[in-house]
Amino acid sequence: MLVNSVIIILREVLEAALIISVLLAISQQLKVSRLWIFFALVIGIIGASIYAVYIEEVSMAMEGVGQEVVNSSLHLLIYSFIVMLIFSIKDRVYYRLMLFTMVGCVVMATIREGSEIIIYISGFVSSPELFLTVSIGSIVGTGIGISIGVFFYYLITSMSFNKGIRLALFLLILIAGAMILQATQLLIQADIISSQQPLWNSSSLISERSLFGQMLYALLGYEATPTPIQVICYIASLFLMTFMTFKTLRYFNQRGQL
Amino acid sequence: MTKSFIRYFIPILLFVFSFPVFAVPIIEIEIRDHLFYPAEIEIPIDTKVKLIIINHDSTSEEFESYELNREKVIPGGSKGIIFIGPLPAGEYPFFGEFFPKTAQGKVIVK
Repeated sequence: MLVNSVIIILREVLEAALIISVLLAISQQLKVSRLWIFFALVIGIIGASIYAVYIEEVSMAMEGVGQEVVNSSLHLLIYSFIVMLIFSIKDRVYYRLMLFTMVGCVVMATIREGSEIIIYISGFVSSPELFLTVSIGSIVGTGIGISIGVFFYYLITSMSFNKGIRLALFLLILIAGAMILQATQLLIQADIISSQQPLWNSSSLISERSLFGQMLYALLGYEATPTPIQVICYIASLFLMTFMTFKTLRYFNQRGQL
Repeated sequence: MTKSFIRYFIPILLFVFSFPVFAVPIIEIEIRDHLFYPAEIEIPIDTKVKLIIINHDSTSEEFESYELNREKVIPGGSKGIIFIGPLPAGEYPFFGEFFPKTAQGKVIVK
């Protein structure tokens, strides 16, 4: 139970911690205030609590696939916010848009991952002996997740602007791709996108059960048996992100910031 | 023209569009004391199936399967719907992520 709760909480915390650390590092590199994070986390946690309280109603909505619709919308919103963020960081003119998209990303990620944590832990309130074990496991899992986030933050901020912003944008491209993979998977599960035979099966190469596979899932949204629609959406999302990133980098370059 | 359209085409259209809805087989899986009942289900090859998972426990459970690419939280005392398939023949294990020691099962496609 202990190890299991560590892994479950770590998986959820890690996804949100990665987004938060990269966005905070970008703020630091651009020398703008990082205070927005408190505002975003408060709204996110309130949102996650409301979602967790109404999870039954959401689950049964839209003929039983409400949960998939809400979760995939959260992933798609995070993707759109990241695209807008990459556009808006290039110039101070877009400062308000940048702040809005950063807050938006963190709020959506906190609602998505936070609600699952609340649903998981609250299930054990009625059994005190398990609750203690699960609470300890959750604290350990949260600690590991946040540590990895802190590592990425200091990794990016310790670099020069030139290198740091490139690494941050590269990580954002990967995170955004993972959002698209998860959104399409949920829409297939809800039968909104029709399911297809998987394009390949790489589970013998990297199993999704393995620690490495789990890490790849958290970072890249790794899927051992993706369907053609998922692969097409993933590649298209990476193309758009890479295009936006190169435009922003060229802008920095022209202004002599790189 | 309008009358014959109403008389013939609308029933045909209704039939065509309602057909896929009826064609999806439904299978119920219950969760009790962190166990799946039934723990093994059989579904036909290349067929889409609607799983209704009913959680009778007070704790939440997350239906998860790497092989089926499915993941869904089923709140305690509630139910959830998951579509699976069409799938090639084989065995597809699933488990309850919150209680993986006991909540184990598999989908057999043949």
